[in-house]
Amino acid sequence: MNLIALSLKGLRRDLRASDVRALFVALALAVAATTMIGFFLDRLDRGLTRQAGQLLGGDLVLEQGQAFDDELRQTLRQAGLELSDQVDLVSMVSQADAFQPAGLKVVDDHYPLYGQVRVDRGNGIEGLAHGPPPGSAWIAPRLAQLLDAGIGDTVQVGSLSLTVTGLVEREPDQQGGFSGLAPRIMLNLQDLEATGLVRPGSRIEYEILAAGPPAAIDGLEGRLDALRDAGVEIRDVRVDRPSLGRSLDRAQKYLSLAGLAAVLLAGVAVAMATRRYVDRHLDTAALLRCFGASQRQLGQLFAWQLAWLGLVAAAVGALLGLAGQAALLALLTRFLPLELPPPGGMPWLMGVLTALAVLVGFAGPTLLRLKRVSALKVLRRELDPIPASGWVVVVVASLVFGTLLWLYSGDPLLSVGILLGGLVALVVLWGLGQLMLTLLLAVLARLPQRSQQGRAWQLGGRQLARRRNASLGQLLAFSVTFAAMAIIALVRGDLLTTWQAQLPADTPNYFAINIQPQERDGVETLIDSAADATSGLYPMVRGRLTAIDGEPPQQQVPEEHQTDGALRRDLNLTWRETLPEGNRITEGAWFDAESGSDADSATASDGSVPISVEEELAGRLGLSLGDELTFTIGSDSVTGRVTSLRHLDWESFQPNFFIIFPPGALDGFGHSYITSFHLPDAGNEMLGEMVQRYPGVSVLNVEALLEQVRGILGQVTRAIEFVLGFVLLAGISVLYAALTASRPARAHEGALLRVFGAGNRTLARMQWAEFALLGFASGLLGAALAEASALGIYGWLGLAPRMHWLMWGAMPVLGAAIVGGIGYLLSRGSRRQAPMASLRLLGET
Amino acid sequence: MSHSSDDQQKRILYANQLGKRVTSGERELVILESLALDVERGESVAIVGSSGAGKSTLLGLLAGLDSPSSGELEMFGQSLSALDEDGRAALRAGRVGFVFQNFQLLPTLTAMENVMLPLELSPRQDIAAKSRQCLERVGLGARLDHLPKQLSGGEQQRVAVARAFVTDPDLVFADEPTGNLDEATGKRIIDLLFELNRESGTTLILVTHDMALARRCDRCLQLEGGRLQALERQRQEVDA
Repeated sequence: MNLIALSLKGLRRDLRASDVRALFVALALAVAATTMIGFFLDRLDRGLTRQAGQLLGGDLVLEQGQAFDDELRQTLRQAGLELSDQVDLVSMVSQADAFQPAGLKVVDDHYPLYGQVRVDRGNGIEGLAHGPPPGSAWIAPRLAQLLDAGIGDTVQVGSLSLTVTGLVEREPDQQGGFSGLAPRIMLNLQDLEATGLVRPGSRIEYEILAAGPPAAIDGLEGRLDALRDAGVEIRDVRVDRPSLGRSLDRAQKYLSLAGLAAVLLAGVAVAMATRRYVDRHLDTAALLRCFGASQRQLGQLFAWQLAWLGLVAAAVGALLGLAGQAALLALLTRFLPLELPPPGGMPWLMGVLTALAVLVGFAGPTLLRLKRVSALKVLRRELDPIPASGWVVVVVASLVFGTLLWLYSGDPLLSVGILLGGLVALVVLWGLGQLMLTLLLAVLARLPQRSQQGRAWQLGGRQLARRRNASLGQLLAFSVTFAAMAIIALVRGDLLTTWQAQLPADTPNYFAINIQPQERDGVETLIDSAADATSGLYPMVRGRLTAIDGEPPQQQVPEEHQTDGALRRDLNLTWRETLPEGNRITEGAWFDAESGSDADSATASDGSVPISVEEELAGRLGLSLGDELTFTIGSDSVTGRVTSLRHLDWESFQPNFFIIFPPGALDGFGHSYITSFHLPDAGNEMLGEMVQRYPGVSVLNVEALLEQVRGILGQVTRAIEFVLGFVLLAGISVLYAALTASRPARAHEGALLRVFGAGNRTLARMQWAEFALLGFASGLLGAALAEASALGIYGWLGLAPRMHWLMWGAMPVLGAAIVGGIGYLLSRGSRRQAPMASLRLLGET
Repeated sequence: MSHSSDDQQKRILYANQLGKRVTSGERELVILESLALDVERGESVAIVGSSGAGKSTLLGLLAGLDSPSSGELEMFGQSLSALDEDGRAALRAGRVGFVFQNFQLLPTLTAMENVMLPLELSPRQDIAAKSRQCLERVGLGARLDHLPKQLSGGEQQRVAVARAFVTDPDLVFADEPTGNLDEATGKRIIDLLFELNRESGTTLILVTHDMALARRCDRCLQLEGGRLQALERQRQEVDA
């Protein structure tokens, strides 16, 4: 017997059956969701890394105070990297009588490695993939305003005259550094020497920007470490994209979560559809046994049949996923000038693997029933093989799902945790479900039979509660479905709220630094006059961490963090009486709350100075409460004892500090002030005034950076909404599969009731009542499950947990409406049929 | 056991001291006891009995769909008790046909596909042609692509008859083949069954409670109290 050919034939014939279609739809959706998200995340990740590279100027940036040697360039090139040299310095720039300090950005002919310079050369703004040619300069509009210079004018840079040929609207790379704070002038590297500004003692930053594949950078690891030790500052795009990091990390986690939810939903749908499939094929299996097929042949026949189904569904699903991610990107490209690399091959493989795994895990145990069917069933209909225990089905499915979780998340511990939590939740849900059905029966028994409508509810409720096992199965499946849908919807809402709260409309778009103490009041008044939001002024003292508990820090911190940047450069220290807005104490207590502290003398009762440390830094350096840190500031030093650890939001565009002292502790050390503020478009003139009156104050425009972060968040929001839609679709497919699976039994029941004299109207009401009750209960259980799961998931995503009262109210009602509606529609056919037909279909006549 | 090879070739079914008991809770229920039967090639045998006498149980045992509690049972000269369920299935493959009271057609398969099903289990080339021929023989040549629900009860049973004979079986079991049909339709089905039986020289075992139908067989056995008793041998008497 050619089983493979026979299985194909069988499948072709089977396509007429609704359960096979439901299986197909569920599988195709699972694959479509995973491949869509897989393709999208894969491309987005690579695209965003590239974009972050653009912000940074390259995938790898090396920076030091002296020129790099050619040997290093040679090495980098040989590793497969494309290089661009850049030099940053601050100098006076003049035009006629006007003098201004400006940040010089000196670029070579390879600049920019990524993206384009948006510049106005007199013909409107255009995007160019090169810097200014020798002999010319491109300047920032603000510098043009300050110097009263325009295109065609000549500006003096050091001893060189350059013609202004462009006004730079936006540079693709947003280099920080001291020169980034002053208004910018960009010139060609070939002109640098002629300016005469490169002299011994000049403060100049030399940079090599490098672009290339991650593998090329990985290959240089040893060399880069040596350079770091020699004092070269190195930024790697994969490590240094902090301004995008947290939000994107959450978004990616969200999308992975949504993908898994879709797989879980599809799995539930497959399990439900398989039950019906198996029920329907018991007769076929018994007949085939009669005709002489062996158990093995039967097992293989049906396994092949489902394998074909899985493969075709996987192929269709993967194509859908590919189309889906293309649609997703088409929606998004408008919002971000992000060029994504083409789709990779991995998601395809994962998609097919997912389909087969879902099939094996969620359909396998149920399918085994077909093998065990007795040939005698052809004579005695009641001889059905014992169904696979519900718990066996759940355990096998969980194992497979856990493996998928592991594959997708790469985190075995997390997978095991979710799995165990899920199993416990199922047991609890099962118990709650039993209780609900028992309660339902008890309540219905006490209700008086007043109206026709009331009787229908009673009948429907009784049917539901009496068909206990089938109802429990559906209740669990629907609760999980609703919970998965709810979580994906809730997280979406909270994620977006968090993002909006994180970057409100008045998020600071300017930073002002280097404000001297005597300028403080004047600058503050000036800023307040035009800004609509400000962070307030923070004092800032630069100090280097030179001892932990009296020992050199290198000996105290964990080995892998001994080269941490925080140990090799000055840290910004501040003092403050109250906890800064947006900061949160995670351990210990803030100064004023600490017993025995005395804010006036800035010392605790034991005589030590309390300090507050940012938690991530503390984690890296292995610091805990009670540790003593010594900072060297100029030629003096100050020691403090850690009394609190703080969480802070680096993406807040507020001044943030690793270390905070109490007021008074840093008195006597030289300090300046820093502030951030939001300036509406109309307030731009204030900047000119500030530069005029306080030339030493540096103003940094972060509007472009802010816009970029906003743009990315906006884009990711759309991606998330699209994916949410997909998960909802998968949820509907579960409902469809489950209700389809239960249709024959209900049709039979309905037919019998009609034989006994129930009218069409009564039947319709009763069926609606039964489905609505089922939906209501599922919604309630689903809300409980979603709330419980949210606790864990929110922690994982870094969101603050909260109760979702609205969900508790909405889910039972929505559940009743959705399940009631779909169920009512699906059973319409059986109500239209003569009862004899329904009974005959079931082989009862 | 010692049977001559001639006996074995002529003998299709042989049962001796056959018993079937089932336990229901504490009680043991004897359904069949010390039952003997010997069926030769080409014979048609009717088994009659009142409702609940154990006719279907006996048919299940004889067809190897179930295993006896005691006694010997041979099909085509092979002891069924020596075989496991798969072994018995292999013995049936292609050599045994069935007609059931409730037709047992698969609702999602067309008439043609239902008839093809047993043939598809054994490798052969002419599956479609042979199935079509069989359906034409039972008068359904024009309904090949119809699903069971589009056919009347009589037509469905004719599809089932075609399916039973499509493998050219040595032995056909029929379990109350007219039980679900009106009298006129039932009679046409029975005529068809006997015609096909004669044409192909098949051995037929018919379980029924309809005496008129039973009388058309070579032999008629009554199942009573778990044992079989010969009622009459009409055909041989008539022939004699």
